[in-house]
Amino acid sequence: MSSAPILVVGGGPAGLTAAHALASVGQPVVLVDKADRLGGAPILSGYAKLVPSGEWARDAIGGMVRRVEQNPLVNVHRNTTVAAFEGEPGRFRARLSNGQEIEPAAAILCTGFTHFDSVNKPEWGFGTYPDVVTTTQVEQMLSSGRGVHCPSDGREPERVAILLCVGSRDRQIGREWCSKICCTVSANIAMEIREALPRCQVYIYYMDIRTFGLYEDKYYWASQEEYRVKYIKARIAEVTSDGKRLIVKGEDTLVKRPITIPFDLVVHAIGMDPNVDNVLLAATFGVKLEPHGHIARAPTYSAMGGTSRPGVFVAGAATGPETIDDSIAQAQAAAMAALAFAQGGLARAAE
Amino acid sequence: MTEKQGAYTGFGPEWQESKLSPQEAQRATSWVEARIDRRSMLTGKDRVEDVRDALRELEKDGEIVVHRITEQHEPVTARTLYGWTKKIPTNQLWHHKSCGQCGNIPGYPTSLLWLMNKLGTRYLDETDQTSCTAWNYHGSGIGNVVSLAAVFLRNFHQAYVSAKAQGLPEGYYYPLVHCGTSFGNYKEMRHFLVHSPQLREQVRKILGKLGRLIDGKLLIPEEIVHYSEWLHVMRERVREHQVIDVSHIRATVHPACHVYKMVPEDVIYDETVLDGNRVAVSTGLLQTLGAQVIDYSTWYDCCGFGFRHIIGEREFSRSFSIDRKIKVAVEEARADVMIGHDTGCITTLDKSQWIGKAVDKIYELPIMADCQFAALVCGAHPYKLAQLHWHASPFEAFLEKIGIDWQKAKAEFDAYLEEVKAGRIETLYDPKRAITSGPGFTRPAQIGTSTAGS
Amino acid sequence: MDEQVAVRPHPGPAADPVSENPPVAREKLEEIFEDIRNHPLYDMELHGCLNCGICTATCPSAHYYDYSPREIVQLLWTENLEGIYDAMQEKIWACAQCYTCAARCPFENSPGGLVMIMREVAIKHGMQSAKDVLRPFSRVLLKVISTGNQLAPNMITRDAFPDWGPNVSKVSAPLDVLRKAIPVPTMHTTDTAWIVNLRTSVELYTIWEETGVLQQIEMVDENLFDVIRDVMDEKREQYEEWLLEQEEDEHEA
Repeated sequence: MSSAPILVVGGGPAGLTAAHALASVGQPVVLVDKADRLGGAPILSGYAKLVPSGEWARDAIGGMVRRVEQNPLVNVHRNTTVAAFEGEPGRFRARLSNGQEIEPAAAILCTGFTHFDSVNKPEWGFGTYPDVVTTTQVEQMLSSGRGVHCPSDGREPERVAILLCVGSRDRQIGREWCSKICCTVSANIAMEIREALPRCQVYIYYMDIRTFGLYEDKYYWASQEEYRVKYIKARIAEVTSDGKRLIVKGEDTLVKRPITIPFDLVVHAIGMDPNVDNVLLAATFGVKLEPHGHIARAPTYSAMGGTSRPGVFVAGAATGPETIDDSIAQAQAAAMAALAFAQGGLARAAE
Repeated sequence: MTEKQGAYTGFGPEWQESKLSPQEAQRATSWVEARIDRRSMLTGKDRVEDVRDALRELEKDGEIVVHRITEQHEPVTARTLYGWTKKIPTNQLWHHKSCGQCGNIPGYPTSLLWLMNKLGTRYLDETDQTSCTAWNYHGSGIGNVVSLAAVFLRNFHQAYVSAKAQGLPEGYYYPLVHCGTSFGNYKEMRHFLVHSPQLREQVRKILGKLGRLIDGKLLIPEEIVHYSEWLHVMRERVREHQVIDVSHIRATVHPACHVYKMVPEDVIYDETVLDGNRVAVSTGLLQTLGAQVIDYSTWYDCCGFGFRHIIGEREFSRSFSIDRKIKVAVEEARADVMIGHDTGCITTLDKSQWIGKAVDKIYELPIMADCQFAALVCGAHPYKLAQLHWHASPFEAFLEKIGIDWQKAKAEFDAYLEEVKAGRIETLYDPKRAITSGPGFTRPAQIGTSTAGS
Repeated sequence: MDEQVAVRPHPGPAADPVSENPPVAREKLEEIFEDIRNHPLYDMELHGCLNCGICTATCPSAHYYDYSPREIVQLLWTENLEGIYDAMQEKIWACAQCYTCAARCPFENSPGGLVMIMREVAIKHGMQSAKDVLRPFSRVLLKVISTGNQLAPNMITRDAFPDWGPNVSKVSAPLDVLRKAIPVPTMHTTDTAWIVNLRTSVELYTIWEETGVLQQIEMVDENLFDVIRDVMDEKREQYEEWLLEQEEDEHEA
């Protein structure tokens, strides 16, 4: 087994998985995270119950954090970024922002994504009206135990609209991708709201519903059958206010007429942007980005987990919108690829 | 949804609960709340094309000439929807007038020129220009992309060479577009010209025939600038001339579709105006002048002008403007005035109110342009300068509310009309400057270049 | 040739069983659609459709007419030739051309732009809807084609706009006096919005000629076309005379 560590960048679900997987076969790991704690988006953004396990993020991801933090083979650097990454396979050198230098055998980028900032779609009222919030904020309302409420005056909403594809599937703002998770997350949130506030009506406005695979009946159907969540095929044009409630303008595309409906709370199902740091990361690690700005992957069929640079691997939402479960699976795969690469390097050295 | 709260399913035996304290959970919450309240992610040019970059590329390739905003135009930089920058020239401006404004709301351009005199801005208002012809096109379907593009480049070429009539160099004046539809249409044409070599070729042939090429190439302006953008970046300087307090005035803004919805990435959004969440022009000016700007639920709605409808199907125009704009501004926002920044909207919102009486929809909401409002609060005469007598909506009560004695002003104007009849006419600039070629043209040596009129 | 036609099953004319209008031949429908699809802007205005309805949601005309920009886009995208023809008879003229649809569409389609393409094609084919709709527009067309100004002060009269109120101006005086009381010299005129330089209108006329706009007018209103030609021929002569005078002056000097 190599004594040179493998560098894992990012301590979210993917990074934690890769670090754990490598350490569990005796491979030393250096785990770097720019935040002051591990856990990534589910912890930093205060997610509530995760899809599809239904476990609280602070429990599920918190457990993954602890598992890594307690492993002596994982050397964790918080509040740290990678300042430089140079050299050839077998002779990589990385300098961390805390001044430390290491010679990793390989690197895995688990650098995740950035939540879409709804302010970029001003016509949907976020930033103008306090009762227009994002799915992330509703997650926080639930996870912090404060309950779902209208931020303006704290009242419990009677009518909630969830707008899908905010920051996704929208050429107007250069975000043509589907963010993959928002349909299911929104169905989940809708059910949680209905459970917490049984008198509250929840409407989901959609272009298409993509609760793929096993999420169909568990989320899309269940939210209708068991929780009476209403789905309306319409992309909302604008959110305004008459001074009392929020006013939502849409077309009911099935009856083909424009509609104007009042709501207490409007929730933006925000998409997953490429990490804001991706241009910097790409330059530092010498890897290419795909056209949307995510980290470009090597061919899946022959080089799962690879990037455009040999010895640098990638997993999770760094490659594009991704679920937590799939990020974990990808990280296991990338760990295997990185380990094989590191051992290949040893073999090359021995020859 | 899980059988046991906090239990783990399928991740291995070493798992345990994190047991975050309420403080830790709160900390997790506050992180995003603090961060997401700002426009932290700008829409990068790798995601959305900036046509101005494409323009510069075409110039590099020797395809076109770009009319640039230079130091002489004293540009001020503004931020647009995605955080990009746009140069707004503030001096040496060529007035690209609006046919609807000049024909129908003459106090609109008059107020703008008056403000420019007040601020010492050099400008040229000349007779060598046409309408953009987009009102006609959108209304009737007569015209096409080639004719619209040719008209665009003809007028902007004239702006470029106009100063030669005064013995000044080419490019001295930069075009300032008065009409919102012209502004939107010209930006669309710029987009089509940049993306279609065939269109460029067709238009090049026509402009060649008119003698309106520069070195055999099309001349395209670096920025297409609306007068409301000039007014926006000048708003602090306008305030220096304010003589009337409007802090008690509840103003509603009607933003114009062709100003901020056409080519939306080119529109000014200012962090200091409604947190950058709504188009900044007009609202920023009103706030700077101290008026209360009141939001209302149909803010995004159009006015009902319809281009064709205002001429041949006004049932639609007036129903829409009364029900979706005027009524809401009066009943919901309790507005004293509605301020616009485009020709068709002001016409529709202003002229549609009178007929409401026939169907018991009685509203009296003054409608005027942002520059008329600004001129009034800077002491412009409501009739002689702001020319409010052309407005159909009642403005007298509003004038009283801001302390202007309209009866006295009207009497003064009546007296002035007698002077006009006797040929004693006051103008904002030397009328000789308006003619730059053809019959009536006076050579440069004979006219001064100052902005002040007789 | 004849045999081929006979063998090929003819799709038959598009016919509405409850309509008294004569059916339209399939060839005609195809010709109209080809003109739409081959318009230079078609591919810039239509990319696909997610059927999300944001265009109709925000459409002012959809509130007052049986008109839906989403329907227009769907008809074009699915190449529903009868539906397209039908929409061109009436619906496309309901659009208010505000372009809110284009500003909102996540696919960056421009339903308003597509409507303009359909209007152009309706005019090209001399469709009755275009002629009917443009009748009240002829005064404006004459003005804009012959002067380059869409609107003139003397067009705003009580007769033309009876619903705008009793007075064009709240100060009563002859129109030319009121116009001269506007302190901007270019506006001291009543039959154009501003005084238009002679050269300018002659240049604009060349643009109309070169871009096929005069043929458009001839198609929808032959009388108007004749009037415009007379007016513009006169202006051209006037300008050429002036140019000659200038040359002579220079020779003398």
